[in-house]
Amino acid sequence: MNDDRLAASGQPIRSGPRPGHNGICRHDYLLLLVFPLLASCSGVQSVLDPAGPEAAGVATLFYTMLIGGVVIWSGVVGLFFYAVRKRKVHSTKTAGRLILWGGAVFPTVVLAALLGYGVWLMPAMRPWFQDDARGMRRIEVTGEQFWWRVRYLGEDGKPVFETANEVRIPVGERVAFLLKSPDVIHSFWIPVLGGKMDMIPGRENRLTLVAGKPGTYRGVCAEFCGPSHALMAFTVHVMERQDYEAWLSARKTSSGAGDAEGLALFLRHGCAACHAISGTEARGTIGPDLTGFGERGSVGAGTLANTAEHIARFIRFPDGVKPEVRMPHFSMLADADVERIAAYLKGLR
Amino acid sequence: MKSFIPREVETLWTLFTAPTVWALHFVVCYAAVAIFCAKGMAEEIAFGTLRLGLGIFTLLALAMIVLSSYLAWRQWGFGSGDPPHDAATREDRKYFQGFATLLLSGLSFVAVVYAAIPLIFIAECQP
Amino acid sequence: MTAELGNFSAEERAAQEERLRKVWETPKGLRYWTSVNNSEIGLWYGVTAFVFMLFAGLLGLLMRLQLAVPNNDLISADLFNQAFTLHGTVMMFLFAVPIFEAIAIFLLPSMLGARELPFPRLSAFGFWSFVLGGIFVCGSIFFNAAPSAGWFMYPPLATSEEFSGIGADIWLLGLSFIEVASIAAAVEIIVGIMKCRAPGMRINLMPMFAWYLLIVAGMILFAFPPLIAGDILFEMERMFDWPFFDAERGGDPLLWQHLFWIFGHPEVYIIFLPAIALMAMIVPTFSQRPIVGYSWIVLAAVGTGFLSFGLWVHHMFATGLPQISLAFFSAASEAVAIPTGVQIFVFIATMLAGRVIFSVPMLFGAGGVIIFVVGGLTGVMVALVPFDWQAHDTYFVVAHLHYVLIGGMLFPIVAGIYYYFPFVRGKKLSDAWGKVAFWLMFCGFNIAFFPMHFSGLRGMPRRVFTYPGDIGWDWFNLVSTIGAFIFASGVATVVIDILRPKPKPAARDLNPWNSGTLEWTNDPEESWGMRSVPIITSRYPLWDQPNLQRDMEAGRFYLPDATSGERETLVTSVLDADPIQCLRVGGTSYVTIISALGLGGVFIALTFHWWITTIICAVITFVAIIVWLWTGTAPIPEEPEIDVGLGLKLPIYVSGPASVGWWAMFITMVGDGTAFASLIFGYFFYWTIHEDFTAAAQGPGILWPIVALVLFVVAWVLTLLARELNEKGTVGARLALVACFIVTVAALLAGLAGPYFHAMDPTANVYPAIVWVLVIWTVTHAVVGGIMHLYCLARSFAGRMTSEYDQDIRNVTLYWHFMAVTAVVTFGVIGLFPMVTE
Repeated sequence: MNDDRLAASGQPIRSGPRPGHNGICRHDYLLLLVFPLLASCSGVQSVLDPAGPEAAGVATLFYTMLIGGVVIWSGVVGLFFYAVRKRKVHSTKTAGRLILWGGAVFPTVVLAALLGYGVWLMPAMRPWFQDDARGMRRIEVTGEQFWWRVRYLGEDGKPVFETANEVRIPVGERVAFLLKSPDVIHSFWIPVLGGKMDMIPGRENRLTLVAGKPGTYRGVCAEFCGPSHALMAFTVHVMERQDYEAWLSARKTSSGAGDAEGLALFLRHGCAACHAISGTEARGTIGPDLTGFGERGSVGAGTLANTAEHIARFIRFPDGVKPEVRMPHFSMLADADVERIAAYLKGLR
Repeated sequence: MKSFIPREVETLWTLFTAPTVWALHFVVCYAAVAIFCAKGMAEEIAFGTLRLGLGIFTLLALAMIVLSSYLAWRQWGFGSGDPPHDAATREDRKYFQGFATLLLSGLSFVAVVYAAIPLIFIAECQP
Repeated sequence: MTAELGNFSAEERAAQEERLRKVWETPKGLRYWTSVNNSEIGLWYGVTAFVFMLFAGLLGLLMRLQLAVPNNDLISADLFNQAFTLHGTVMMFLFAVPIFEAIAIFLLPSMLGARELPFPRLSAFGFWSFVLGGIFVCGSIFFNAAPSAGWFMYPPLATSEEFSGIGADIWLLGLSFIEVASIAAAVEIIVGIMKCRAPGMRINLMPMFAWYLLIVAGMILFAFPPLIAGDILFEMERMFDWPFFDAERGGDPLLWQHLFWIFGHPEVYIIFLPAIALMAMIVPTFSQRPIVGYSWIVLAAVGTGFLSFGLWVHHMFATGLPQISLAFFSAASEAVAIPTGVQIFVFIATMLAGRVIFSVPMLFGAGGVIIFVVGGLTGVMVALVPFDWQAHDTYFVVAHLHYVLIGGMLFPIVAGIYYYFPFVRGKKLSDAWGKVAFWLMFCGFNIAFFPMHFSGLRGMPRRVFTYPGDIGWDWFNLVSTIGAFIFASGVATVVIDILRPKPKPAARDLNPWNSGTLEWTNDPEESWGMRSVPIITSRYPLWDQPNLQRDMEAGRFYLPDATSGERETLVTSVLDADPIQCLRVGGTSYVTIISALGLGGVFIALTFHWWITTIICAVITFVAIIVWLWTGTAPIPEEPEIDVGLGLKLPIYVSGPASVGWWAMFITMVGDGTAFASLIFGYFFYWTIHEDFTAAAQGPGILWPIVALVLFVVAWVLTLLARELNEKGTVGARLALVACFIVTVAALLAGLAGPYFHAMDPTANVYPAIVWVLVIWTVTHAVVGGIMHLYCLARSFAGRMTSEYDQDIRNVTLYWHFMAVTAVVTFGVIGLFPMVTE
């Protein structure tokens, strides 16, 4: 599959490098025949293609359990077939011993070991960080129907700037995510980095993650949150430290400069009631912040590839792209105006 | 010693003694930790103290289960007969009850031990 | 039990059969539907549940079609969401649980050697409730009004009018209604198994199926009430804006998750255990030997029953609870795999020690086990917290749960259908069709669900109506869809095999599989069940007791006749099954249908906020139930004892703990108490999450709650007194009952006074809301308790309750024991707890 096809199919494309894999697996059908041990050619949202220690630990755990599971399953099914096909009838005593050792003792021992290992892993994977949270970078992510509000917090815990539907983190550094929701329950999940954590109204959950290798990945909402739950994804950029710092400082001083007429139309048609673009008069807070929109991976929280065409389509009929999205439709605007706004947004850096 | 051990009672309910002890142990562990963490009691009492307390409680629960298995063993005639205990007599019905209770005590023992494993490895309220 | 067997001449036998046939006759024409006989009710129940399953299966196919290719727009997001919500809801509530109530009601009497379960009318009531609730819930999708927030109905998505329309009310009220049916079935099953076994069937001789069903019914009693409590909170929030799950006013969405999953996980085992119970009947038959490890099965059933209540938080591993809490639940989740393993090995051991005949029921059984073991192993994986953080809410879990439920439940059911069809219809289903169906279902299932493990691990979340085409999910989904259709064709084959006309077998063969258990003595042509109730001396009486069938049909055992013209069955003791009573059970009646329809009307009218209709329906229900109780329960018999055959005379009327009515009340109140405990859990749950829970808003004060508490205790003591006085004569008892009633009214008014005079506003904050709910719960129970006093009074005046025949007052006293505990806890908590925390 190439990127044209992606665009044509209306799907998001990811910019930037994807080290370690090409994102697409060409031999899926083989997986159905052979076993899934090779399944890790699967891409940007795969648990089995880890890009951080937590996900790597879980992947190892999974493979270990998989091998154990295959052995146990084969044993049980083999015994079952033997019991059906056998020539000789075994004594009740032998059969009773089988229940004791095979049905009770063996699982007890295996499960005790597995449970011990699993419980031992937990604090190692998600360490207690209350005490050192001050030193950690903090990003506040709010799940809203059906997009992600992302605020980068300063050392004082106050937001420095806001963005939406993409998360950028430096490689090799534990980052704390503060997870909230104002409406319904969502769940924040970046499969290549680690497990998910729910965002529950009235509660603030915390999740810390470390990325092990730079790249562009994908996160999604994992808890059913309404009609467009399926269309609530975000892009994750794991960046080298210096790139990240550069991006941070650029983002802090973003001017919003671009096509002046596009901006004027944007303001005139009331877009600024909900959206903000830093450096301009647009300061709405209801919808996603659009600063630097042109660099985003997608339109509509992972729904469409970020092209001017798709932006225009979304502006005209958001509900057609994303059922029951909060944004009203703007199909009454002149095509030229919509296209101009779209072009302006696409041009924002 | 005699006064400690109840005399033999004939009821269906003895079957459920050991699992009930498991349930109690489970609820106490869960509730203690939930309240401890939700109420931020870590500032007054160390988490280690809580673990120690629950550890002692676990030993108590295990002792209860051992007692229950002793009673079951007695009901089973101290292992005097092998299963299947399928004769139409009061004796066999009693042996069956004893044996089944003994098995359940074993399972409950394991389940209580399992429930204690987290107390060994997890030392904080971290989410 | 060495009684001399009866001996009757041919004429005597014919006359007996004539009388029996008349007494147990199924009504004809439209009145057929007023039948209450377990064989009719069980069959209707089963067929209805199966039809609901097919409907939910079609919804599943619709979802698979939508997901066949990426970016599909076959159906809208909203319809997809309705479809998956209904698919889960219907499969769980309208198929999986009811089908076992059906099978239990249908099989248990025959298996246990009872002529009828003790409360046939209750079964009928449960069935009609189930049909009505089911049609209401399923029908909603044709009006585009089906629930769409998932079968788990998480607030705030499901509580908010804005996010979910009337669908959530339909779900809640329809389901509450079905929960009533389940609890009714649980009462019936528990009392039936404990008290209605054939003489001599000691607990060590009970069929495995009965052991499992006893445990399952007990689990229903503890699992469904928390959901009922949750439903109450939920509906109060939706209807009256009481903020139980609204974080802004002190509520918490997580409380619903706790209550839902305290129900939801045991539910899985409530579904799974009866299926394994069917296997435990099938495997010995086809191994032609008794089961190996009878006691192990009891261990497995009881152990699973208990442990399944310690798993609920494993559905909440990602909600941010402390890790140590998660780990406790992880531990129990791993522990529950042990008894499950034991069950599988019991089957293997039985086959190992027998000569296996491999026919269609075994084929489905074996296929089920092979599938289930995969589901069990992935279950062990997701029970580990770190793995679940990744796998939770992905297609991996979808694969896991279908492996467990289809392997552990649907395949055994189909095995059961093939096995028990001759029992129902007197002829077998086709072997050839069965094999075709099996291979279609087995292959189709694996093709459909195995790939989901991979799509899930590649990050595909559940409950998505569409997905992008470039992240490695498309192949898997297409294959899944193809598999789903192959699987569906297998199910269709089973349905066709059941429906197609079959030739009548040449010879009457009641026991075509050469099974050993008692149900295979029943003639499907007759509605009396057992021709006579045998004395049992073996786990497999048909294998071990020579001439049993012949002697039973010759009427040589108990109850060979129906001279009284009443439906009679034996009640035996719990442990050793000694006969203790000849119980008369209710016959054909309209009251069951009317009360079920009335109650259905209440729930449906509530959904649409038609208050007047609600009240009318409530009155109809109330009157119907009173008529039912008045005419149908505890009638004073024409003579104290009756000859049940073999020279044994048994009492007809017993009261107190020896009676089935007392047990039914006890069991119901245990369920009721569990629901109440769940509400109390809610109170303390809110206390844990708030710094200043009881100080945040106005409380009920201390005076009125204490006054109410004391008055309730007085009412309870007076009720006890009334029972004692009734033994001596009628006058004292009547006076005491009047006093009870007055004190009860005073007590409930005092109960309301606390929150009322302190102007507690339940919409302002969760604290007043939960206090009000506790008070209303208690007051409602007090109203029922007061009506019971009046009922006893009326029975006494009508001469239907005397010093000798005092079942009514004894059952009412039992109710009041629970009532007193409820009142003391409620008013103790709301009155005193705020002082403790200050």
